[in-house]
Amino acid sequence: MRERNSNIASPNIQRATGRRVNRIAVLAVLGLALLTAGCAGDKSILDPAGQAARDVALIWWIMLTFSAVVLTVLTGLWLFAFRPRDVTRTPSQERRVARHWILGGGILLPVVSIVALLAFGVPAGQRMLAIGEPGEVIEVIGHQWWFEVRYPNAEGGEVVTANHLVMPVGEPVDFHVTSADVIHGFWIPRLGGKVDMIPGRENRIRLQADIPAVFGAQCAELCGVAHAHMHLFVEALPREEYDAWLAERQRDALATMATANATDDEARSAFMTHCASCHSVAGVSDGTLGPDLSDVGSRATLGAGVMAMDDGAISQWLHHHQTLKPGNLMPSHADIDTDTLDSLGAWLETLNP
Amino acid sequence: MSSVSQKAIEQDPQQLHEDLHDIWGNPKGWKALTIVNHTTLGLRFMITGMVFFLIGGILAMLVRTQLAMPDQDFMSPDIYNQVTTMHGTVMMFLFAIPMLEGLAIYMIPKMIGARDLVCPRLTSLGYWCYLFGGIILTSSLILEMAPSSGWFMYTPLSSSEFSPDLGPDFWLLGITFVEISALSAGVEIVVSILRTRTQGMALHKMPLFAWYILAMALMIVVGFPPLILASVMLELERAVGMPFFEVAGGGDPILWQHLFWLFGHPEVYIIFLPAAGIISTLIPVFAGRPIVGYGWVVFAIIVTGFISFGLWVHHMFTVGIPQLAQAFFSAASMLVAVPTAIQVFVWLATLWLGKPKMKLPMLWVLGFLIIFVCGGLTGVMLALVPFNWQVHDTHFVVAHMHYVLVGGMFFPLIAGLYYWLPLFSGRMPSENLGRWGFWLTFLGFNGTFLIMHWTGLLGMPRRVYTYDTGMGWDIYNLLSSVSSFVMSAGIAMVLLDIALHFRFGKPAKQNPWNADTLEWANTMPPSAYNFVSLPKIETRHPLWDDPNLPVTMAEGKHSLAVATHGRREMWGTDPISGKVREIIHLPGNSWWPLFAAMALAVVCISLLVRVYALAGVFVLIAGVFLLRWSWENGAHPKAAPDANVSPGDPPLHSRTMDGPGVWAMGTFLIANGSFFLSYLFGWFYLWTVSPEWSMPDVSPLSLSGLVAAGLAITAGYMVMVKLIRGLRRQQDAGLASGFYLAGTLGAVQVALTTWVMLAADLAPTETTHDAVLLLGLIYALFHGGLAVVLTVMQALRVRYGYVGAHAPFEPAVVVQLWRYNAVVFWILVGSLAVLPRVIGG
Amino acid sequence: MSPLLERLRLTHPIHFVVGLTVWCIWFIAVYGGHAVACEVAAPATERGVFTLLNGWMLLLSIVTTALLAALTWWCWQAGQLHQGRARFNAVVSAGLYLFSALSVVFVALPIIGIPPCV
Repeated sequence: MRERNSNIASPNIQRATGRRVNRIAVLAVLGLALLTAGCAGDKSILDPAGQAARDVALIWWIMLTFSAVVLTVLTGLWLFAFRPRDVTRTPSQERRVARHWILGGGILLPVVSIVALLAFGVPAGQRMLAIGEPGEVIEVIGHQWWFEVRYPNAEGGEVVTANHLVMPVGEPVDFHVTSADVIHGFWIPRLGGKVDMIPGRENRIRLQADIPAVFGAQCAELCGVAHAHMHLFVEALPREEYDAWLAERQRDALATMATANATDDEARSAFMTHCASCHSVAGVSDGTLGPDLSDVGSRATLGAGVMAMDDGAISQWLHHHQTLKPGNLMPSHADIDTDTLDSLGAWLETLNP
Repeated sequence: MSSVSQKAIEQDPQQLHEDLHDIWGNPKGWKALTIVNHTTLGLRFMITGMVFFLIGGILAMLVRTQLAMPDQDFMSPDIYNQVTTMHGTVMMFLFAIPMLEGLAIYMIPKMIGARDLVCPRLTSLGYWCYLFGGIILTSSLILEMAPSSGWFMYTPLSSSEFSPDLGPDFWLLGITFVEISALSAGVEIVVSILRTRTQGMALHKMPLFAWYILAMALMIVVGFPPLILASVMLELERAVGMPFFEVAGGGDPILWQHLFWLFGHPEVYIIFLPAAGIISTLIPVFAGRPIVGYGWVVFAIIVTGFISFGLWVHHMFTVGIPQLAQAFFSAASMLVAVPTAIQVFVWLATLWLGKPKMKLPMLWVLGFLIIFVCGGLTGVMLALVPFNWQVHDTHFVVAHMHYVLVGGMFFPLIAGLYYWLPLFSGRMPSENLGRWGFWLTFLGFNGTFLIMHWTGLLGMPRRVYTYDTGMGWDIYNLLSSVSSFVMSAGIAMVLLDIALHFRFGKPAKQNPWNADTLEWANTMPPSAYNFVSLPKIETRHPLWDDPNLPVTMAEGKHSLAVATHGRREMWGTDPISGKVREIIHLPGNSWWPLFAAMALAVVCISLLVRVYALAGVFVLIAGVFLLRWSWENGAHPKAAPDANVSPGDPPLHSRTMDGPGVWAMGTFLIANGSFFLSYLFGWFYLWTVSPEWSMPDVSPLSLSGLVAAGLAITAGYMVMVKLIRGLRRQQDAGLASGFYLAGTLGAVQVALTTWVMLAADLAPTETTHDAVLLLGLIYALFHGGLAVVLTVMQALRVRYGYVGAHAPFEPAVVVQLWRYNAVVFWILVGSLAVLPRVIGG
Repeated sequence: MSPLLERLRLTHPIHFVVGLTVWCIWFIAVYGGHAVACEVAAPATERGVFTLLNGWMLLLSIVTTALLAALTWWCWQAGQLHQGRARFNAVVSAGLYLFSALSVVFVALPIIGIPPCV
């Protein structure tokens, strides 16, 4: 299990090194590169992995082409108007020329464009609505500065996790989003549009992943000092793996796992002293201010995407989290000795169903 | 009043100039602070605006430095948020709007053949409020307490829970202070354009620039009050705990977004319209022919002005409103493309049919066209809901917005500055340095922001202070940052060029670009009174019809070339036909605007540091200054104690009942009405939509008490109407006691409303419902109190002989406030006390 | 020209703003009414666009369009009878009424295709 996760965490880095070579080419033919190199990066709108995003990407390319033609022709006409010339027109000829420009360019052109655009756009928007047969429901709740993820309809009971969202491939998923504090933005760029997470309201958006893959996601609405460090790791799995993933996270199973090993007693008691009032671990504590940590060892990243979950990462995070993610709401642990932090980190890493 | 004296009395032009200068000229030294002249104040506005532009520009450079490479720690996230928030705030509120207002304040009277704006002391108050508000706001940067929740201050992030520092208070108070300035300029520009155009300048002969500015000013009047209301509400929530936007008490954070964008979207057009006005002024001049399709442009201006108020929700497509409502706003947003396209093609047709010359200002016009059309095209894309859901809050939007604002405002502004430079200084700009400046700015701009569209499409969100490498964003951010420095080099070159030209520019000849509008009939630089005599015009192109007009005007061969009475005078004309109706006499230099603005600045600072007692005292002091200011009006010895005019000339406006003050009050009441409607919108919005709204089964407000108060204010209004009818028949018997009676009735209304408010036993810090009720009652009380004070002052002025059958003007101003108060009060009673009883909670 | 139209003073520049003001009022009525209706008594989603709410909004839009179209025609007629300033005012007003009418149609189009409260 661990192995799979670290594989998932690293593609960013692998892809980045791979692309460094490309970069020279990008610089060399920038104009062309602008149109090609963009289709990479796990947050690119132009690399869609779902129908909603694919519609928008297609609309974008059409709009871009059309706009480029309009802009070029218009600029050409303006420059052409500056040519030296010697034409004399009668007032009635002038009026006719003017009328042609104004009616053709000023009225016909925008009206035709916007009618065509709406004809394309409205159906695309309707596909993102959560109407008709309800899909799999996943609740996402924004917090300063992390995402709480809940599966209310999981077989056997609700599953709760944080900053790591697993969804089934090839079927519509209804995301019900809200916020516990300020307004956040829920957005998985490669799957489709975003929707705000607003305190006191529940917004819904229907998205579908067509391929089993990992997608980047990041809070889109300025939500305070650590806004830049509020990422969500999205993983689309085939249905049976998804069901298995949910089953592994049943509260009872997690509780058994957390309390299984007597050698971790010391770490657990340190956890009760320092962490339990904010964090929940199934079978150990039920704090709600911070992310639920019951399956933290299985997540791909730490600190809402600040660092990859490598060996010893949690301990690193506990030592340096205020430098890694400045302003985050977890108090600094400067007053806790290194051994305690290390043992806490080691135990939390074992919370990996 | 068609029998206006067009007599060409032979006068010595030099003598006439000296006499006019004695009346209109600016004092030196300390007394320069009292200047109310529009030319001087317009320049002050623009220079101050440029200073704030430089501050905003430096902030932008800091942002681009931070984002140049991934994982940088040049700035901490908190400082970064302060810098981006202040960059937007400074550029929007302290540069773009005041700069364009300054241009309008400077240019409008000159273009329409007037000698000043109608409310010169208000111009001065506006300037000081702008300066002090701007200083207060920017000082937060130095104190490292700047607001950091983004220039649109979304709550709850800006609430006291999530921003316990003073940052949002700086923003809310500072911006409200600056908006007093914008509103006062808006009001007087509307009235000036409608009522002080020179003889014969009918509505359809007005320069297009004046049409654009008229639309801008009206949009300010209607568009700014929603933000003022929202700022007041958020500040009350932060300072006192009235939960307007807090879900727990029954409020809704989305209400802030509605009110903000109700202002924020029109604001984009408030910035764009004057800039388009510059373009529509320059193109005919450099094409050497009248604009093609004047009527089409007027049509486009009016359409833009209205439609832009129906678009605000397109900034909120992701907040989760029903699809159908989004479709309405999507369609309306796209509609705005039509008037814009009409203007673009009118400009093209004008060039096509003319013989255009590529002078330096035209280079900037061309740059404007390319950038603005590009911004317009991405704007249409953003109006499409599904596309908007993808790119909203990404760098794509940042790029789009800069294309629209820099392309739509900055480029035309520089074109205009180069064009009018000879008027400011009497010297011509250099072509060489200016061209370098243009190309660096143009290429740097596109390098920065064209690429930024792409960064956004690759998924980079707005307002992140850092980003990981490996997203594919690195190279584009670096290119944007490098280009932004190229752009700032270009802008520095332009500013250098403008600064140097004051010393080294070649002296300009009269009307150097061969323009058609009246501002070029001024001397260069202009005198304090603009024109020695005011011409009668026949067409839209006075200087093309009669190139000798500047000379004959300077020789005093047209109207109002008299200075013996010692008054500052100009024409008051019919808003539609341009026929002369009265002589408007203007107040001279005054300390009161400065003093009032200083008192308001103290109020602002004491609210900031939460010393409310001091704030209260200084509100009263400011009120006293403002009343003293209005005391020096009409027949007061400092204004126009005698009413003598030259034979054949129309009467002084203070001796009629329809002077500019009546129109200014009317325009101000439009702004006030917009504020009130926004309040009503808030009330009904919260009532129906707010997630945890609760209201008591029975309204806590005593209906009988409110009805009694409403009857009192209605009776007071009837008394006022009766007095006005008398004045129209030249009867002023019992005038003073009539005013006292109306004042007493007003006081009864205030007392009854106060009683209702106290008896209701509201808990405004507990529930949103009670907070909204309290705000409405305070609004009614403030207006009732204001009407009482002004009416009692009228009674006093009757005793002093400043008001009466001989000078019936001021009661006609005050009665409008009474009418407004009565109507608004009944609407309040209906919505706050009656409807809840009818419908129930 | 009939006495009623005479009283409308179609060559007065007030008509520059009447059409778009009507558009604004229509817009607020439809948007506001729709928002309130969805909060208070949202029609069932299964009914699609065939709801009473859509019907009312459509009816209001048609009436508004008809009114604005009539004013367009009257202003245009008035423009043909005059010269100079009066003609300018009436013709520009006619254009603005026409634009307002078409704006109502354009913005109302989604009422035909989109269910009201989702």
